[in-house]
Amino acid sequence: MINLQNIEKVYRTSTIETLALNNINLHIRTGEFVSIMGPSGCGKSTLLNLMGLLDAPSAGRVEIGGETVTQYRDKELARLRNQKIGFIFQSFHLINDLSVLDNVEIPLLYRKGDASGPSRRQLAREALEKVGLSNRMNHFPNQLSGGQKQRVAIARAIVGQPSIILADEPTGNLDSAMGNEIMSILQQLNADGATIVMVTHDETMAKKTHRLVRLFDGAMVGDSVLMSNA
Amino acid sequence: MIRHLFKLIWNKKKAHTLLIIEIWASFLVLFGLSSLIVFNVSNYNQPLGFTYENVWAIDLRNNQDTVAVTAKMQTIMQRIRSYAEVESASRMSSNYPFSASTMNNNATHDKATAMAYLFVADGDFAKTLQMPLTAGRWYTPADSIGKFRPVVINQLAKDELFGNEDPLGKVITSGDGQYKVMGVVETFKSKGEFQGDKPTIFEQLNENAPWDKTVLIRVKPGTDAVFEAKLVKDITSMAPEWGAEVTYLTDSRQNQHNLALVPVTIFLIICGFLLINVALGLFGILNVSIARRRGEIGLRRALGATESSISWHFVGEMWVLATFAVVLGLILAGQFPLMNVFDLDTGVYLKAILISVVVVYAIVTLCAVYPSRQAATVQPAVALHEE
Repeated sequence: MINLQNIEKVYRTSTIETLALNNINLHIRTGEFVSIMGPSGCGKSTLLNLMGLLDAPSAGRVEIGGETVTQYRDKELARLRNQKIGFIFQSFHLINDLSVLDNVEIPLLYRKGDASGPSRRQLAREALEKVGLSNRMNHFPNQLSGGQKQRVAIARAIVGQPSIILADEPTGNLDSAMGNEIMSILQQLNADGATIVMVTHDETMAKKTHRLVRLFDGAMVGDSVLMSNA
Repeated sequence: MIRHLFKLIWNKKKAHTLLIIEIWASFLVLFGLSSLIVFNVSNYNQPLGFTYENVWAIDLRNNQDTVAVTAKMQTIMQRIRSYAEVESASRMSSNYPFSASTMNNNATHDKATAMAYLFVADGDFAKTLQMPLTAGRWYTPADSIGKFRPVVINQLAKDELFGNEDPLGKVITSGDGQYKVMGVVETFKSKGEFQGDKPTIFEQLNENAPWDKTVLIRVKPGTDAVFEAKLVKDITSMAPEWGAEVTYLTDSRQNQHNLALVPVTIFLIICGFLLINVALGLFGILNVSIARRRGEIGLRRALGATESSISWHFVGEMWVLATFAVVLGLILAGQFPLMNVFDLDTGVYLKAILISVVVVYAIVTLCAVYPSRQAATVQPAVALHEE
């Protein structure tokens, strides 16, 4: 599903060059639930950004769903992000001026020639039902708890029925109870067929996934299958 | 997406109130300016009704001389007509074309009334100003012996007094007199191209009356100040106590143009400054808004927005804001044609509204394009990380 070959990412300024990722080779199969761990600044988010086509590698090859995207232009990358990838962020990234339902609907707005307004809203309602927030769809984000916000973000990530979900520390801003709740939802999505890649600092959460990739100073230093979950 | 943008702006309406008021005020100022310009341009496009090139107005003043004024006047007219340089001459009232002087009076026919400009002129007036008649003929000295004094009216006076009726030979009443219509001219815009046509009546001049001592002369092309000096000298030699002042109609016309155009120009400059201010304000607000919303931009990119859709999103938001302001503006501007304010044609207001709407959207778009392009260049990975 996701294939990274010889990935290198260098951030350059006029005075300094920082090697964020070095020679990363990672193949993630369809239906896997992979967690990425490592200390702060080791390149976890950079790696997730490359998988999510939010950033381009300095060297190497990125394949998403069998498509080599290295030479893709903005429009093609946007189409892939919209159709194949769902994002969940640590800080939720909800738009406070829009209702929960409107927030969830956003990815469908960028889907060309697709659903009409009423069917978009229906899809958004269904996504909110999946995360147990159908009773909050007309609320605004600032009227929700952290866990509820993250569930809205998950609904937004799945509303377009993407095959890949990329989660950047989805439980990082939540207490353990809320974190577990979010993790259960992610596990359910994975059980329903979604490929999930999750960056986390939390060993407990990482252990609930199928596979654990460890990074250190931009290099992949570990890749283990967690047999109990696989 | 349009619904999404409206919802986004509507939910932030409190934050955008001042901006909407600013655009609304700009729309109204533009509407005022556009109305003025459209009004002047539509007047300008109407035919003047006469030609003024090579026409001079000689204002004769008898000062303290009250002896045989009429006879002296007739002698002067004969002398003027005798010059080889003069193609045609006409004696008339002091309100010659483009002058500051105006005479008007109510004219009635049956139950119809019109406030009409009044010109008193002899039979050579139409020839001197090369005025085409659309019906009938210009009056001649022979017409003065009838029961009613002869008049020529313009089309507008005909429309207001007679409607579809044929006015020729009909009698109108103005002041204490009754007048018989001999002919109809199309338009007569005595104050210049920027004045709208007004109902106008040309009354035959009584050559035995001592007043009405302005003479219009059409000179041959190329006639210069040497002739002007000779003319004045001859007139003053015939009537030593009289004064004669020559004015070129081209100069008087320019003065009238200035009277019409100076207020428009001042309004245009004020409006220009206001619009520049508004544009800079919009530009600044959008720049700040984009800087504050980098996270949202990153998010939208992550969710599938292309660079151009981010750009259009911000332009679209400004259009939505402009739409709120324009709709509020239209409610007010719409009252002008509905309530017939300033007695202008409905078409003038409608054109002005259309121009104002186009200009407001153009300004808003211009202000939004650059910041929106900047927004499109925001790197989603960086913007999301910043949040």
